[in-house]
Amino acid sequence: MSAVSAAPVVTENARPAWTRRPKIDQWICWWTIPIFYNLFGLIFVVLTRVMPPPRPDITPEQIVAFFETHSLTIRIGFALLMFFIGFASVANGLIALQIKRMSVSPVFAYAYIGALVVGGLPGCLLPAFAFVAGAFRPDRDPQIMVMLYDWCLLSFVGSLGCFCTQNMVLALAIFLDKNDILPKWLAYMSIWMIVTELLASPVFIFKSGPLAWNGSISFYVGTAVFVVWEFAIIRLLYVAIKNQSPTEQIQD
Amino acid sequence: MANTQTAEVNAGGTTTRAHLPSNKDMWVFVLGDLVIFSSYFIIFEIYRHQQRQTFLSAQQHLSLSIGVVNTLVLLASSWFVAQSVQLTRAGEYERAMRLTVGGGLCGVVFILLKAYEWSTKIGHGLTFGSNDFFMFYYMLTGVHLFHVALGLVFLGVVFFELRNPKLRRVSMVETGATYWHMVDLLWVVIFALMYVMR
Amino acid sequence: MTTTKARAITYVWIILSAITLVSWFLGPARVAGPAVASVPITVAVLAMAFIKARLIIGYFMEVRTAPAWLRLSTDAWLVVLWGAVLAIYLW
Repeated sequence: MSAVSAAPVVTENARPAWTRRPKIDQWICWWTIPIFYNLFGLIFVVLTRVMPPPRPDITPEQIVAFFETHSLTIRIGFALLMFFIGFASVANGLIALQIKRMSVSPVFAYAYIGALVVGGLPGCLLPAFAFVAGAFRPDRDPQIMVMLYDWCLLSFVGSLGCFCTQNMVLALAIFLDKNDILPKWLAYMSIWMIVTELLASPVFIFKSGPLAWNGSISFYVGTAVFVVWEFAIIRLLYVAIKNQSPTEQIQD
Repeated sequence: MANTQTAEVNAGGTTTRAHLPSNKDMWVFVLGDLVIFSSYFIIFEIYRHQQRQTFLSAQQHLSLSIGVVNTLVLLASSWFVAQSVQLTRAGEYERAMRLTVGGGLCGVVFILLKAYEWSTKIGHGLTFGSNDFFMFYYMLTGVHLFHVALGLVFLGVVFFELRNPKLRRVSMVETGATYWHMVDLLWVVIFALMYVMR
Repeated sequence: MTTTKARAITYVWIILSAITLVSWFLGPARVAGPAVASVPITVAVLAMAFIKARLIIGYFMEVRTAPAWLRLSTDAWLVVLWGAVLAIYLW
């Protein structure tokens, strides 16, 4: 079992004071989360127009026009995403560490990381590249533009399995945890996330209505639940790190 | 963990102070779930308002009989579960366990009836994509079915904890019961909105 | 040994089941021929569902003897949900 400890201090003025703050390593990681989500909002909502998603039931000409209008901001937005997507990995590492503090086997931490590593691809990166390819040369054959459009949005809204797994793992870990690292109500919120993710699966069938990729149920209610969950976990991680003893032994 | 002492003052059984069954975590879940489901119900009603005739005709294909029987089955299951909470509080763990199983079995019957109902509808060509009414029908009853299955897991945990004298806690039984009653409550709403109201 | 609470649960269950059976007679499938919208039947159905929901919350979920914040929130939820459903229906 390895202890979480600070690096050996050589002399008093070898390292600046702020690096000797207890748990500074975790605090740095925690800060990446609110920063990432603000950037996420800027990128996906303002720049690339993926949130809320444009409609599935428009004509190829309208899709081409969409790419032409937003070509510059799509490319800027997703270029930014390529820089900052790494922050999500840091966040997941932090949550995984907190899961390891629980009385359950670290398998849950590994599964959590695994689920999101896989999920990040169809959830963020594939949609980004599909849209960027469309925005890069909007003079392609309209049918190819339609395909890139569908690819991005189906992937973005419809990639639900990995996130279901993430939430199942987190919920189960919290339910079984005797150390009360994270409260049980977060586990229940994770169950909501699973339900709303499952309700995104009909996007592969419907081009309009509440269960399309821009639908009131598949997209809007799901996103609302996600926002609540994300606020909750940011706050709960803050509390968990604060209450964590700097000399606590954490399982491997 | 919430205080599970109920102050039963006299034979009339009136409580002198308010008692929150289960714990705040489960109530966060229940209240939030009710809000989320309500958003689905309201969206359903808006679509019904826009397509009155389609929904009215489609509704006729639903088997009201199975709907009623399913409602009665879930109400009975809630009776079982509510009584098992009372028995657990009175220390009658054996009977509480049996009633928990009774509630769970009703849940299984509900699932079987729902599966039968779905299969007959699909057999008649009424599928998820047939029209907006049936889209909502499968979606709402499907999400509800997920909740029933989850409820069976919770009741299972309650049963196993009741079996073990070292694990018995009233609050745990209350927690499973609160969730199960929510499942019953949601079905009562679905039944009214989809099967009966026109 | 049935306590008062246990008996109350049984009475509530009987009432709930009875109300459910009433819906059997009001449902659209009983009508021969194409279904017709009916405001009085719908209002009755929604009122009955409101009552059933409140009984489940009050007696089964024991909200009747719960702290005030819970009683108020569940009542508020009932009013908002059924009110919205009725309003959209009548609109």
